[in-house]
Amino acid sequence: MAGKGGSAPATYSPSPTVQKKKTSIFQEDWVRPDGRGFHQCRPAFFRTGAVNAASGSAYAEFGNTKIIVSVFGPRESKKAMMYSDIGRLNCNVSYTTFASPVRGQGSDHKEYTAMLHKALEGAIILESFPKTTVDVFALVLESGGSDLPVVISCASLALADAGIMMYDLVASVSVSCLSKNLVIDPIFEEENSQDGSLMITCMPSRYEITQLTFTGEWSTPKIDEGMQLCLDACAKLAKIMRSCLKEAASDSQE
Amino acid sequence: MVLRPSQSGNIFWCVYLNEYKLRSTIFVEAMVGLSLGEQHFIQGGIAQDLRCDGRKRLTYRPIYVETGVIPQANGSARVRMGATDVIASVKAELGKPSSLQPNKGKVSIHIDCSSTAEPAFEGRGGDELSAELSNALQSCLLGGKSGEGAGIDLSSLIVIEGKICWDLYIDGLVVSSDGNLLDTLGAAIKAALSNTGIPRVQVAAGESSDDQPEVDISDEEFLQFDTSGVPVIVTLTKVGRHYIVDATSEEESQMSSAISISVNRQGHICGITKRGGAGMDPSIILDMVSVAKHVSEQLINKLDSEIASAEAEDQE
Repeated sequence: MAGKGGSAPATYSPSPTVQKKKTSIFQEDWVRPDGRGFHQCRPAFFRTGAVNAASGSAYAEFGNTKIIVSVFGPRESKKAMMYSDIGRLNCNVSYTTFASPVRGQGSDHKEYTAMLHKALEGAIILESFPKTTVDVFALVLESGGSDLPVVISCASLALADAGIMMYDLVASVSVSCLSKNLVIDPIFEEENSQDGSLMITCMPSRYEITQLTFTGEWSTPKIDEGMQLCLDACAKLAKIMRSCLKEAASDSQE
Repeated sequence: MVLRPSQSGNIFWCVYLNEYKLRSTIFVEAMVGLSLGEQHFIQGGIAQDLRCDGRKRLTYRPIYVETGVIPQANGSARVRMGATDVIASVKAELGKPSSLQPNKGKVSIHIDCSSTAEPAFEGRGGDELSAELSNALQSCLLGGKSGEGAGIDLSSLIVIEGKICWDLYIDGLVVSSDGNLLDTLGAAIKAALSNTGIPRVQVAAGESSDDQPEVDISDEEFLQFDTSGVPVIVTLTKVGRHYIVDATSEEESQMSSAISISVNRQGHICGITKRGGAGMDPSIILDMVSVAKHVSEQLINKLDSEIASAEAEDQE
């Protein structure tokens, strides 16, 4: 890639693609590509204040999953809306065209908007901003697996950054079932070949679940195990989110 | 939890944060108008295991099933639970399997809330509810991404691997809505699938290995679908500290949250979705799962016998 002196201008050539062996995921001893244990989440990176124009914003990066969420509001509700004594929440989740490995293929997740809304509405104190609307816009810059949980966690951080009153931060984690193994925080490949999935959104300090989705076949002991895994992971994630907010607050004080 | 009339003065109750909201921006409009006394009556009755229509907390309304209501569809059924009335239809068309799963057919589920059920459903009004119901049914009936745990055996839909498969389009129509739409739609889809006949397909021998082989769709012979693996959906609505099954729309307006659990004949959970924004303790959720498993046994038996008798009537 570096130009050699005097010769023809070097052109950029991408690194030779290593032909990845398609390991069958249906083995019992599936090894995760990034070397994590089955019950180990990806390292989480959060930063608030990513977007200057917004009332509050946050950027989250979990491995290859990169999300940016901006919160606008509370703003005046449109005149066509009816009067309401409590505030309104308006959410939108959209994918960039370069988010997924194949261009444009990530946009078939229209239900994420409704799920983000359901996850957040239980945590926000809507009575604190009557007659107005809070808009939460999430943009998935790169989809590396486990998108919706990261969107939800990042959105609650953005809401906190915007100063919207909430009962508690909302943390969210998903678990995939790969032929009898429970794998937490799945990546894109693991999600595509999963036998079942579980996503939990909870408010860790209140120990309450605001949103819960299971797909695939689950027996009761597995449900117990999966929920316990998720709740533990959510508690740890909430600690990371809190420390990110504290850092941002202490930075701004200096 | 306070209800107040809207500014325009007609009887139009805005339902607040704890209640089930259909949309983020508008509230449940005029589906139920309940006075404070009526609300206390409903909540008190549920607490004492005696609901407004005399049922116990875990009792379903009478279920009526008719199959074969739509002659042009491959399979159809109409299910009534009390005043809730839905129609499900299954149409099968030949299509190409996806490249990620060349040995499985495709199923797509779509629900439409007709404006005959509620005037609010006219035009785009019912879209959000339809999308929510479609998503819930898809996650309950179609299993994980790899196709495991699906209620419907997708490999039985394949005609020629990698080239031709059956695409099942399952459409549900809500004709009248009195609560518990998800359970009724689940039952209707199960009944419609039992009624479905996939035409027998003869592949012309000697075709070359490219593009479109010749297929001959028979008009006479039909293969019945095996629906013993299709799960039923049980929705548990939490009102106060108790759970009820098969809530009417009045009872649903009083709920704090609801969990819909899809259980199959073996007692395995095939999908769970939570509706309503209020938070719930995890132990309550696990308790609801076990209650749902218990209730689902009776529901599966009742539904199977109703479907069998409906099919028998259809034959005559």
